[in-house]
Amino acid sequence: MKAKHHEPESGEHGIDLAPMLDFVLNLLIFFIITTSFVKEAGVVVSRPNADTVEYKESGNILIAVRENGDIWMDRRQVDLRDVRTLVERLHVERPEDTAVIVADKAAHAGIVAQVMDEVHLGGIRDVALGAAPATGE
Amino acid sequence: MLDFVLNLLIFFIITAVFIKELGLMVNRPSGADPTQASGGNSVPVHVLANGEIWIDNRVVDLRAVRANVERMFATNPKSGVLVIADKDAETGLVVQVVDQIHLGGIYNVTFSTTG
Repeated sequence: MKAKHHEPESGEHGIDLAPMLDFVLNLLIFFIITTSFVKEAGVVVSRPNADTVEYKESGNILIAVRENGDIWMDRRQVDLRDVRTLVERLHVERPEDTAVIVADKAAHAGIVAQVMDEVHLGGIRDVALGAAPATGE
Repeated sequence: MLDFVLNLLIFFIITAVFIKELGLMVNRPSGADPTQASGGNSVPVHVLANGEIWIDNRVVDLRAVRANVERMFATNPKSGVLVIADKDAETGLVVQVVDQIHLGGIYNVTFSTTG
């Protein structure tokens, strides 16, 4: 830079960093936001259909229960006993988040109830059963 | 202007990321004995592992759940419904029962399991 300063008659030298900095900051903000929003369960389950589904505001913690009883949370399979710890951690990070348990149609109700209890123990009182809107019978 | 357009682009991408989750609200019984939950004012609806639904000691069809719940709601608008599912009952059926109860007008649904 100092060497360039000595060059005569080049008013503009080097790259103007300001717009790039703006852009990088935007990108950074974008990635922070997208990663912190929804804790995807990371597995596809066939959701039960229901007519009276409602949109859950800040229903960001998704817990999937597969038909064979596997529990998926935050893109990995977890044990039932780990659900409580994970929910506790997420609850501390973002206390306004609520949980949605997305259970497969064929999953057993007992496991869903146990997961619900673990979520309650983890500090989140507001739990919904995930469902898809009915697509006409 | 390019900066502005990029900001706009990022804004729209972010708003598209706002996925709202769809779900049915249900309660969980707090006490040890689910039949005593919510002041004993709840009407029990049993869902068995074989797919049968029992209300008032009768087997009812899924489509009849709504009519039954509407009748309950008419007689006692403050009553809640306690869905007691067998632990091997299918979640899909339980969710459909809860859905029908909601359609019948009662949103105070408690979900418990037995077995």
